[in-house]
Amino acid sequence: MTSKLTLTKRRTFLTATAAIAGAQFTGPFIIKARGETPVKIGFIDPITGSLSALAVTEVESAKWTVEQLNKKGGILGREVQLLVEDSANDTGTGVQKAHKLIERDKVDVIMGDVNSGIAYAIMGVTAEKKVFHVVPGGHTDPITGKDCKWNVFRTCNTTAMDAAAVTGELVKKFGKKWFFITPDYAYGKTLQENFVKNLKKAGGTFEGDMLPIANADFSATLIKAKAYKPDVLLNNMGGAAQLNCMKQFVQFGMAKEMALGGALYELETLRSVPKEALTGWWVFEWWWNQPNVPAVKTFVDAISPAIGNKKPTARHWMAYVSIMAIKLAAEKAKSLEAVKMAHALSDMELPPEVSLSPNKVRYRAGDHQLMSDIFVGEVQQAGAGGPDDLFKVETVVKGEDAAGSAEDTGCKINWPA
Amino acid sequence: MLQLVLFNLTNGLIVGTFYVLMALGLSLIINLSNVVNFAHGNFLAIGGYLAFVLTPFIGFWGALLVSPFLTAILGFVIEKVLIRHVYTRNHIYSLLLTFGLGFILQDICRYIWGPSPLPLNIPQSMSAAVTPDLFFITWYRVFMVAVVIVAVAGLFALLRYTRVGMRIRAGTLDLETVSALGVNVPALRSLNFAVGSFLAGLAGVLAAGQLGLNPNMGDDLIMPSFIAIIVGGVGSLTGTLLGGLLIGVAAALTTVFYPSASEAVIYVIMAVVLLVRPRGLLGEEGMLS
Repeated sequence: MTSKLTLTKRRTFLTATAAIAGAQFTGPFIIKARGETPVKIGFIDPITGSLSALAVTEVESAKWTVEQLNKKGGILGREVQLLVEDSANDTGTGVQKAHKLIERDKVDVIMGDVNSGIAYAIMGVTAEKKVFHVVPGGHTDPITGKDCKWNVFRTCNTTAMDAAAVTGELVKKFGKKWFFITPDYAYGKTLQENFVKNLKKAGGTFEGDMLPIANADFSATLIKAKAYKPDVLLNNMGGAAQLNCMKQFVQFGMAKEMALGGALYELETLRSVPKEALTGWWVFEWWWNQPNVPAVKTFVDAISPAIGNKKPTARHWMAYVSIMAIKLAAEKAKSLEAVKMAHALSDMELPPEVSLSPNKVRYRAGDHQLMSDIFVGEVQQAGAGGPDDLFKVETVVKGEDAAGSAEDTGCKINWPA
Repeated sequence: MLQLVLFNLTNGLIVGTFYVLMALGLSLIINLSNVVNFAHGNFLAIGGYLAFVLTPFIGFWGALLVSPFLTAILGFVIEKVLIRHVYTRNHIYSLLLTFGLGFILQDICRYIWGPSPLPLNIPQSMSAAVTPDLFFITWYRVFMVAVVIVAVAGLFALLRYTRVGMRIRAGTLDLETVSALGVNVPALRSLNFAVGSFLAGLAGVLAAGQLGLNPNMGDDLIMPSFIAIIVGGVGSLTGTLLGGLLIGVAAALTTVFYPSASEAVIYVIMAVVLLVRPRGLLGEEGMLS
């Protein structure tokens, strides 16, 4: 009796464990347009999952931007409809949602995804279906590098740009012996490769660990890092994982022995860092406090009331620029045809009220990568600018300077006949 | 290298004790009610978020005491309202119910507290390392291990020396006979589910103090619990204890040699155990034997 019961439970339990599959297929969130033939933008982002904080910010900004556009006549005089789909941080789900948006909802444009792997996978769908596609926030290099597509434009930086922008500062200030803690997926791998390339050029040495993307406990890796005695610990993790790594780094007293740094940091994450753990040198892809750029203040003042009176983050900026770029491309092309829009946006310099940056910014023709400014600096405890004044910009690196040439990325754009 | 291995062995035991705490609550519910509670990780998250709400009013220590009880009450209510209806049905009902419940609880957390990570502030003195040499052992981690030891000892004492505990143990072995002897089985199951939820809530507060809070924290932490139970043996709390420690140490030691596999190694252990000894390491022994 007992063994039979135990056997039944075990089988049930094993079946149950095997059945843990997280695909969620829910209907899209739609901002309804009033026009008869709205311009449809399908936005795929991981609203659930470990990158949800960033995705929710992007979606929040996209909704706000669409509202502003519709108040001013939309795109090509047609109102804009935003259809948001959750990729659930899963590549299969993201691809399935792309098919749904294109084939069933007949969207004119696709945006997404925060997750580099998903963005990369969606590219395959949009290229096949010849749909104009903007990647607001997926960083892995091949998207505008060796696997670039004529229909895909990217707003956020490549990992090569972020790594190049901050490497010089870290080497100059702290030294050339580094230890990497990097997430083991597309973004992390290309980021570390680029850091290593730059570090080797500077004559540096390194060791490092590739860890699962949602790794929660970093004690084992930090023990290794401490034994290596590096000048700099590169925390390349993202979201909550980046935050936990930072906290444990400080708790273990390692801040006294080595510097902390990395490529991309996000204000969404920084807000959650305990005061004592606010340390390190990082890259922000956009920063809300740019006293010398009047358009930034206008943007910040306009969007803040719609986002809980907080300061906008780089993710707000990415979604805003992406949608505004779609508008600019469509209006220059006078069409929503993907090929015409892509030609129109290639090498287009964004106006200051769209770029919100100190230098000239354009989607480079050679790889469709936005050449945006990169803000390198140090995390700080809240400054005079309020609770979101958590980053002190040390230097602004021009995107063109950090990116190298389009040819170097390996991108060769093949336009459709 | 030896020092690195020893450090990671110790570290693995610390991490493993946390897995034990999570897995014991889950195991308790499986053993008596035959319900694989996929929402267990979300109860953990709820426990952490409740502590986040309570801390400004009653401090961390107060939240540590109160939050698990509130989680237990929530578990008790959910068992009464939802879970108890699927006990007599095919197992797939309870799987689907708890799986869906997990998503609902996660979205409730996301709706109320937002998707961004939140910190749970612990007393400053707890963040410091015990000694400069053992830099990875902070006072908070020591405290966490101590709490887990007390909780596990308390649970085992409850099950061995109290009337309710004896009924739970008996129900695990033969629920029909226990029912025939006049024990109020529905009440026993509700209480048992509440105790499991209490342990999830306690794990949530402890995890939040170290890792902070986010709506997905339960998902990130729950799989090691399932694996601890499978490795240790379904039906054996002692096995769950052993399984938790084993996978904690394995993950930590793997980080020394092949960090990318630090997550995969626990699945490999599970596969090996299932192939070599399908009932788990102590599965045959039964609870507390």
